[in-house]
Amino acid sequence: MMQTLASAQPDILQKLIFGETPAPSEAAAWSDGLFLMITWFSIFFFVLLMGLMVYFTIKYRRRPGVPAQPSPHHNLLLEIFWTVVPSSSLIVMFVLGFQGYTSKVVSPDNAMELKIQGSKWSWIATYPNGATSPETQALSRVVDNENHTVIEGKQYPIFYLPENTDVKLRMMSTDVIHAFWIPEYRTKMDVIPNRYTGFGFRTPILTPGDTYVHRETGEVMPGRDMWVFCAEYCGDDHSRMAATIRIVPQEVYDQKMADWSVKLSPIDAGIKIWTQLCKTCHETDGTRLVGPAWNSFKNADGEFGFGYDALLEDGSSVIRDANYYRESILDPNAKIVKGFAPAMPSYQGQLSEEDIDNLIVFIQSLSDRNPNAGQDAGDAEEAGSDTEAGSDS
Amino acid sequence: MSTLEANAGHHHDEGSYFDGPPGMMARIWQWSTTVDHKKIGVMYLVAVLFMFFLGGMAAIGVRYELLDPIRTQTTEFVNAAGDIETVTVTTGESLKELMGGMFGEGVSGSQIYNRVFTLHGAIMVFMFIIPAIPAALGNFLLPIMLGAKDVAFPRLNLLSWYIYVVGCLFGVLSILLGGVDTGWTFYTPYSTTTDADHWRVVLMVMAAFILGFSSILTGLNFVVTVHKLRAPGMGWFDMPLMIWALYATAIIQVLATPVVGITLLLLIFERVMHIGIFDPSLGGDPVLYQHFFWFYSHPVVYVMILPGMGIISEVIAVNARKHIFGYRAIAFSSLGIAGVSFLVWGHHIFTAMGELAAILFSGLTFLVAIPTAIKMFNWVATLYKGSIVINTAMTYGLMFLFTFSIGGLTGLPLATLATDLHLHDSYYVVAHFHYTMMGGTVIAFMAGLHHWWPKMFGKMYSEKGAMLGAALVFIGFNLTFFTQFFLGTQGMPRRYANYVDEFQTLHQISSAGSLILLVGFLVHLFVFVQSLLSGDKAPANPWGGLTLEWETESPPIEHNFHKEPILKHGPYDFETTVPPHWDPKDYPLPENAGKH
Repeated sequence: MMQTLASAQPDILQKLIFGETPAPSEAAAWSDGLFLMITWFSIFFFVLLMGLMVYFTIKYRRRPGVPAQPSPHHNLLLEIFWTVVPSSSLIVMFVLGFQGYTSKVVSPDNAMELKIQGSKWSWIATYPNGATSPETQALSRVVDNENHTVIEGKQYPIFYLPENTDVKLRMMSTDVIHAFWIPEYRTKMDVIPNRYTGFGFRTPILTPGDTYVHRETGEVMPGRDMWVFCAEYCGDDHSRMAATIRIVPQEVYDQKMADWSVKLSPIDAGIKIWTQLCKTCHETDGTRLVGPAWNSFKNADGEFGFGYDALLEDGSSVIRDANYYRESILDPNAKIVKGFAPAMPSYQGQLSEEDIDNLIVFIQSLSDRNPNAGQDAGDAEEAGSDTEAGSDS
Repeated sequence: MSTLEANAGHHHDEGSYFDGPPGMMARIWQWSTTVDHKKIGVMYLVAVLFMFFLGGMAAIGVRYELLDPIRTQTTEFVNAAGDIETVTVTTGESLKELMGGMFGEGVSGSQIYNRVFTLHGAIMVFMFIIPAIPAALGNFLLPIMLGAKDVAFPRLNLLSWYIYVVGCLFGVLSILLGGVDTGWTFYTPYSTTTDADHWRVVLMVMAAFILGFSSILTGLNFVVTVHKLRAPGMGWFDMPLMIWALYATAIIQVLATPVVGITLLLLIFERVMHIGIFDPSLGGDPVLYQHFFWFYSHPVVYVMILPGMGIISEVIAVNARKHIFGYRAIAFSSLGIAGVSFLVWGHHIFTAMGELAAILFSGLTFLVAIPTAIKMFNWVATLYKGSIVINTAMTYGLMFLFTFSIGGLTGLPLATLATDLHLHDSYYVVAHFHYTMMGGTVIAFMAGLHHWWPKMFGKMYSEKGAMLGAALVFIGFNLTFFTQFFLGTQGMPRRYANYVDEFQTLHQISSAGSLILLVGFLVHLFVFVQSLLSGDKAPANPWGGLTLEWETESPPIEHNFHKEPILKHGPYDFETTVPPHWDPKDYPLPENAGKH
């Protein structure tokens, strides 16, 4: 059954409906086959109904002096026929749909488990060895070598997966309901704050045509990128809650795992947490997002950055020291900076003491009142750019 | 089309329901204290059309924003001094540029988009489409079609209208205070935590809560009216199918609406008093809300569509001069849909429930497709051997068969579990429910409005102008929403202001369609206003209908009928009966009639 419904070479209709790229797994191809089957069924009945409607409307159009001709007001046999035929087709759809659902939701016992955490508005994937991915890529990237400019959209995390492997997702949200959708796998599941959900899929075997461009070096590498979108509305930046799944050869994957499990310096660990969790709302170049930027600068709303006073909603002001940042992470609504909405969720229980500490080290490094200055200045240069004043674009 | 208008209504001992005392204030007082179901129906019509306009403008706003994705881009370049500089620019915030001031300082383009699509959904669902047919057309027609003077509880009927208006005022107040960004479904825990320092969300939820009472009271009124006030001689199976549809609708309204009322109240409790019901951080369960919500909101999609199906049954039968095919099948399928509609709420939550529940709800969902399919076959079969005239109402009736078929058939991959996992919460779903709700209910509403307009206001409208409007609506509607099926299957999620580049062309086609749709409705508005100002006087029975509303004048007298009507023929006996107010020589009857 699996083979009869799925077609390896997508036909025109299939391309029109699902796009150019072939489905990456058997379960996905099967689901497309089922969709096409239902579509043909629908087209048949639609053409039948509309054909009869148009035919009757023309043939029996009103002519002066010609009455409507009597015909039966009901016909039991006909009515039973057009009840039973569609009903039995529906049973077929139901059963096939149930089969396809099972193949999408259930994965083999030995499948690799990837933990997915959704929070407003970012995804984090944790690998079996505890590593998380620090790599990101933008939705769009334009490099203009002549003028030495690079135009890039927002950065989204890249989750590497080895080819030809069964993967099982175990997902949980830290705040509201999200949904993890991989359109190419034709599957999504809600990501809910108080329980695990998940689904499984098998990564494809890479073909020579499967390549991506390395962000820094511009090299063409073997691999296949797939978008992940949040499909359950979750607020302000719902439409910017994306990620990339990158299917790579096993050895590339193994190398990434080895690299990522190396212990990072506090400031690098802070940068990593910022990229994964905080960057959606807090920039480090003075740009105003949902929350204030972290670097030191001055504008109409007051002074910003570590070591500077924060003007609060209630008119008072408070010094931004390590304790201020700690409180803002654990109990964000305790002090609201003037001009900003109380939109931040608490990270109590999500970030360890070490994580918080590392984040504060990173925030400190962004300020010209950095108490650690001189010891890690190089890192700070790399992490955030040193734009002078905040430009509220 | 000549009629016996000259003979009809010449014993005018009372004027039309439209006549009133002289003086502006006296008339306003008369209308605002009226218990006449016709006046209340007209007041509903005015109110829902205003809400349709507001919701429609929000829809245009949504389509305007989606012409361009909202993009925040960083440009990295080497400046004159040789240093690397970065500049971050956000583009495509069309709504913010157009009307950012309305939403206050520091609100981003995405936030504005979220509020605008929420307003579109909340207004269209709670304030337009639920009351549109039952409360506006239903109120006007139900008693007259039954041969009654009024509904069973006329004062309660007026109260429903005032409750509706108060509900709408809450909604509008919430909008004026800046609007809400919860989505019309108010999913928890987002809805209980967003905008924590504002009352806007509570106001909008209160609006939906209050509107529920209006719906319940109207439903109650209709159930009792149908049971108790049918004209002498009118048995259950002599009722027009419009009445069957309104009856099934009323039952759903009475049974399901209290559930959403309680749910919304719990949501307010959680939000205001922090009682943990749905928010896990307070010990609640977020999916519980979805179960409660859809236990109402799934049946309520049949509150939206069933009356539309009733209109289609009337419009097709009258304009084809045929007895409706399979009267009992249509009547019972209305009740069947009403019954099964209570068992399928889970298909809105396929991606958040266990496997067993998902399989169960998938099976039950297929059940609801069957009565709908039966109706489609019956309507097409009614056309067979008819004498079909294509006027505006009939055009909309046939258009309904076209768009609603697409709406129904595209529901099949959503009921099928394997394919739903892909299509759930994608643009495919958006397209599907617009084909059922707009292609179904709104198109049927337009059919009904044109069919009964002469009866309601006593004026004819320009058939040419209305046909032009209908053509524009048809083209615009399909252009807007058919493209969205492809957006969905290719991976475009719902409620996205920011999307990947490959979707832009389809979004732009869709937006262009929405503009044509807008022009179509403006043409209709123009035609209706022109009809009210300078339309020809409508005859009592312009289309040759056999239901009781065509026996009285256009517009009806205050008490509907001069004396209590006695039913002498069925609602669809076109083969054997010359319609009231018609001359037999203008209405040829078939020679071999009455055999069936």
